[in-house]
Amino acid sequence: MTFKTPTSEKNTLRLIKKVYLLMLAAMIYGCNQSSEQIDFSTQIKPILNSKCITCHGGVKKNSGFSLLFKEEAFAATKSGKPAIIPGDAAGSEFIKRLHEEDPELRMPYEKPKLSEEEIDLLTKWVDQGAQWGQHWAYSLPAKVDVPMVALEANIMDKEDGTFVQNDIDHFILARLEHEALAPNRPAAKNIIIRRLAFDLTGLPPSETLVKDFVKGMLSYEDAVDLLLDQATYGEKWASWWLDLARYADTKGYEKDQGRSMWRYRDWVIDALNKDMPYDQFTTEQLAGDLLPDPSVDQLIATAFHRNTMNNDEGGTEDEEFRVAAVLDRVNTTFSVWQSTTMECVQCHSHPYDPFKYEEYYQAMAFFNNTADEDTPDESPNIRFWNESQKKKKEEILSWIKKYGSKNQVDAYDDFLSFTEPKYLAHDAQEFVNGELADTKYLALWDNGSCIVENVNTKGASAMYMNYAASVNGTTMTIRNNGKDGELLAQFKIDKTDGNIIRKIPFKKIDRPVNLYFEANNDAIPKQVSTSYITWFTFLEDLPGPITTGFNDIDQSFLALLNAQTPTLPIMVENRRDMARATQIFERGNWLLQADTVQPGTPKSLNPYKEDWPQDRLGLSKWLVSKENPLTARTLVNRVWYQIFGRGIVASLEDMGTQSDPPTHPALLDWLSLRFMNEHEWGMKALIKDIVMSGTYRQSSVLTPELYQRDPNNELYARGPRLRLTAEEIRDQALAVSGLLSNKMFGPGVMPPQPEGVWQTVYSNAAWVESKGEDKFRRAIYTYLKRTSPYPSFITFDAGSREVCTVRRTVTNTPLQALVTLNDPVYLEAAYAFAKTMDLENVEEGISIGFEKATLSEIDGDKLDVLKGLYDEALVAFSSGTQEQNFMGLAERPSAKLAALTVVANAIMNLDEFLTKA
Amino acid sequence: MKNYIDRLIAEKVQRELETKTRRHFIKQCASGMGGLALGSIFMGCDPLPSGKPNSRQQSGFSERDLNPLATLPPPFSPRVKNVIYLHMAGAPSQLEMFDYKPELAKLHDQECPQSLLEGKKFAFIRGTPKLLGPQASFKQEGESGNWVSDNLPHFKKVVDEVAFLKAVHTDQFNHGPAQLFMHTGSPRLGRPSIGSWVTYGLGSENQNLPGFVVLTSGGNEPSAGKSVWGSGFLPSVYQGVQCRSKGDPVLYLEDPEGISRDLKQHTIKAINEINKKEYARYADPEILARINQYEMAYRMQIAVPEVMNINDEPAYIKEMYGVEPGKESFANNCLLARKLVEDGVRFVQLFDWGWDAHGTDPSTAVDLGLKNKCREIDRPITALLLDLKQRGLLEDTLVVWGGEFGRTPMQENREGKTMGFKGRDHHGDAFTMWMAGGGIKKGASHGQTDAIGFSGVEGRVSVHDMHATILHLLGFDHEQFTFDFQGRPFRLTDVEGEVIREILA
Repeated sequence: MTFKTPTSEKNTLRLIKKVYLLMLAAMIYGCNQSSEQIDFSTQIKPILNSKCITCHGGVKKNSGFSLLFKEEAFAATKSGKPAIIPGDAAGSEFIKRLHEEDPELRMPYEKPKLSEEEIDLLTKWVDQGAQWGQHWAYSLPAKVDVPMVALEANIMDKEDGTFVQNDIDHFILARLEHEALAPNRPAAKNIIIRRLAFDLTGLPPSETLVKDFVKGMLSYEDAVDLLLDQATYGEKWASWWLDLARYADTKGYEKDQGRSMWRYRDWVIDALNKDMPYDQFTTEQLAGDLLPDPSVDQLIATAFHRNTMNNDEGGTEDEEFRVAAVLDRVNTTFSVWQSTTMECVQCHSHPYDPFKYEEYYQAMAFFNNTADEDTPDESPNIRFWNESQKKKKEEILSWIKKYGSKNQVDAYDDFLSFTEPKYLAHDAQEFVNGELADTKYLALWDNGSCIVENVNTKGASAMYMNYAASVNGTTMTIRNNGKDGELLAQFKIDKTDGNIIRKIPFKKIDRPVNLYFEANNDAIPKQVSTSYITWFTFLEDLPGPITTGFNDIDQSFLALLNAQTPTLPIMVENRRDMARATQIFERGNWLLQADTVQPGTPKSLNPYKEDWPQDRLGLSKWLVSKENPLTARTLVNRVWYQIFGRGIVASLEDMGTQSDPPTHPALLDWLSLRFMNEHEWGMKALIKDIVMSGTYRQSSVLTPELYQRDPNNELYARGPRLRLTAEEIRDQALAVSGLLSNKMFGPGVMPPQPEGVWQTVYSNAAWVESKGEDKFRRAIYTYLKRTSPYPSFITFDAGSREVCTVRRTVTNTPLQALVTLNDPVYLEAAYAFAKTMDLENVEEGISIGFEKATLSEIDGDKLDVLKGLYDEALVAFSSGTQEQNFMGLAERPSAKLAALTVVANAIMNLDEFLTKA
Repeated sequence: MKNYIDRLIAEKVQRELETKTRRHFIKQCASGMGGLALGSIFMGCDPLPSGKPNSRQQSGFSERDLNPLATLPPPFSPRVKNVIYLHMAGAPSQLEMFDYKPELAKLHDQECPQSLLEGKKFAFIRGTPKLLGPQASFKQEGESGNWVSDNLPHFKKVVDEVAFLKAVHTDQFNHGPAQLFMHTGSPRLGRPSIGSWVTYGLGSENQNLPGFVVLTSGGNEPSAGKSVWGSGFLPSVYQGVQCRSKGDPVLYLEDPEGISRDLKQHTIKAINEINKKEYARYADPEILARINQYEMAYRMQIAVPEVMNINDEPAYIKEMYGVEPGKESFANNCLLARKLVEDGVRFVQLFDWGWDAHGTDPSTAVDLGLKNKCREIDRPITALLLDLKQRGLLEDTLVVWGGEFGRTPMQENREGKTMGFKGRDHHGDAFTMWMAGGGIKKGASHGQTDAIGFSGVEGRVSVHDMHATILHLLGFDHEQFTFDFQGRPFRLTDVEGEVIREILA
């Protein structure tokens, strides 16, 4: 259902004092009735949610009565009759029970009676026909008018005309006027340029930018455009997206070993810098592999959903953790794009929101058919070729093109690119004298056997097998279906140097078979594994076998398969004959599987068009359809949060019946529509709209009265004043002291961290401190180990990225002060910074340093305080600093420089340094 | 002892002062800042509603905004104030410690009946394993007559202090997920740990120390990593702070070389003086929180090394615990746990690594390595209970002991092979935990396993039940103690859990 206001209705509204327009618009949302009509979403649903739905909702349906969905509410209950009879409150059990005096009969059961107003509302609602409305979050209006309140308003705009800079401000002003609050003055130039630079690039502005802007040589808009163009923009906004994407450099869980994911991080930075439209940004990450002829970049993008954790702990079953990863993908997708908590629906229908139990598994069906299965190698991995490998690959593919079919080209290309499809060791069953070693590898002992069922050999005359062996002289035999079945292959296995991929002659067979593996080796003791098989596969035979050059191509193909290359885990859809069916899990338990379901999206949201494929690509089209009520709103709300520290819907994780109502509903919708229709999903344009607004450009100075009125700045009568993020705090210290490296991209770096922080079971991974400029890279490039993240980032509220993080809760703890006071990274920065302050005139040096750090001129009082500190320090150091180690630095500074370092350290701990005001 | 009594009196007086006004902290803060005009900010602001610390009043400003570790009273009258949780990471064998199974000895080396194996999953056992009799001898001890093996000769002396749970069960049988389940109520990542919930709900009694301290021993951190003391979706201020035996006890605690305490004090004073000017300009209470944060940091720099120093403890105490100053040991951590609780730390979490007795080598054999592990904890745990008791702290403290699951009555046959040493596989169906301290029924034993200790047959309790019980003792109803996240209230106990009344005094 889409929102429409009939013209006549609009005209009526225009007569009403305009200041109420927004409120009314919100109230009649999704309902076209006259204003005396009771509105379901705003008046009835909140009562049902708080008083009824716990027992009559998605989890419990006592007496067969539920108020979650319309059809349930009007259906017959256990008594045989419906509880609500539209138009007849007196005859409706739903209303009668509210009046009961007998506590056994009165509803809410064992709870206080509803208030008279509540009963009255519910009664009127039923009498008026019990209209079932839709919550605002589940439909999007076609158009939103900008309120033009300010033009005729008598609101006092402190400096006429300076507040309203663009349309956003009209929405803000409309509400401010209603609350009889005036906006603040614009922030001073030196303040706003610092705020702007942090919000757009995560770094303080360059000296030139500050100078040009403050002197008026550069307009504010020019400064915005200039900053949006910086490569540092992508680095800043990537940390927000990587929180959502749960990006980390390790696999998580017990072993938490390293994984090479950084190319995905670089893809995000690059996509943001190129201002890739959000619809494309969405599609490539969710379904890049399903696009026609996907590029390497589009495959890299799919690593978004390979950031799920991978469990290598001994004794864990791969299927359990594959399922866990798939569930995480469902939950993350809905968290990231729909502000919807699907986790609830895993075990039962959503307690409050209109999502059904089956719909969770329909959503899961989109994600349940990828080739990754929690194996230690994290396959499928895309392989990155060097030049000579690339050339070889081209030779092979052009050979196949010449002698074979397009299908063969694709199959060989895919197999070289990401080694799929294949059969994994954990598919083996019925082990005799053998075992799935460490729950990972197919391992047979002497006279051992096992079976892999339903294998499609593609009629191939060879099998490719990836294995390792530490003993010589094993004979492996593969038969059809069992011990006495037809012989399909027999070959020797000798010691290998690690894992190898081998091509093994195989009897052609044209139907799916159960492969019976048998190993024999009399020369080894009992219970010793003859080999460890990781996977095997069949590819349609290489074409052109009787042509000269075939052997070279055949050899070259095998060599390339065995070549060492850098890799990245990606999403690859299973081929049809290996597709997985999705079944509902009873009560969310993956071991109790019930009915099979097909991919589908929740019915309460926009319809799923027939021409969309029933896979992740179709799902992404559904998400970025302009009819989807939540995608644009979610993005707009979260970008707004990044800038103002508060969402228009405060509950950033959730837009639905339990979420906070939007403080500015029309603004949220207006921005969302503009983002989709005018900006065509351009994120930079959206961000520009926000930072260009007068709302953003206000001073953040507070008064106690204003604080009492609006402690959370919900009304925006002042600009945002926020503590910098974990990344910004580090980056700023390095930038101000001149240490920051502007090198972009590449593997995670390891800046200094205290000894003994990394201590993980079974892992020999070590924190090897980066050298040279890698020691001073931007925070986004710091190696993130999930079970032991970089300590100072964690202290400043960054997460461990095990699951999707929608919001970092900002806290203040003494441990943060200890970081910026004592962490060697900050001491080194203070020392480098102090060198720039080391002028002949100490007071001048301190003043320059203070201004460089805060972009504000120092006043006399502050200078006195810092000079006082300098004097104390100088006295302390004058008695022989040079002989001592100073702050663990290699150099031995003069007493003066040492004292300035103390001052620099203090400046870098000031609230105005750690905050963007 | 006199020192302790003095401290007790001082504490009592202080406590009375605190209860007189919940503005205690703000006042302390205000006076520390030299008469900064706070009146205008606090005028007309409501105190936090008790027991629901995340629900903000309209004024939005509370003591918690200034100091997120400010104390809050629990909604119900508590039996204990503090918790010391001793986790044996890797899962100790109940069959060699507390769950005496003479029948299992008789069945030693016989094949495990198929009926027990059907439909069961094991981490490493494959095919048909053999039963493994108890590798320790047992006696009934104390007045309670509860069984304790000779692996724990000291513990026998305090057996009447504790209440055993003999039939705890979990549905996780891999270390990482099981440890997460045991400490966060969920086998998946992202939920707050018990210590985080408790610190969030109650705050900290001592503003100079972290409210939730973690100490590890055994050479490794627990399998699930730092997530087992993580704050999940709660603000990160409530995560456990790991205090280390080597290096800075708390990261970045120590002043840099060449910077004296005096100079550090001057530095913080200068920072705060300028921040006060900043407050005068912006009137943003966040700035007050920052000022407070720096003062606390300074005090913590003094208080933490003091409490972490065990060298100055009397010789008889060191002897009692068997401490090894300068090293990382479970004994040291037990003594530290007492000191921390004594100083008002809310939740002390110990992890001791090395209990995963699979029998893959002598160190993991239940008749060899396990005995050593028992020896490492026997004296310290006994000393901890006695020491808490002699100081009158045991009444206010809950001590919890256990692993993430138990071990099989069968001998492990990894990958179907016969193994060289006697080991047991992971087993979640039945294992032993115990609790001691305030509100706990002394000498109780709740629950029973079958003849071979495979399954609980009576008084089975779940991990959620255990959590519900801990929260109950601290004065919370585990069903009402929630945090709103992603549009719904979350609980430590998810949708389950019942208080284990049978072990309550």
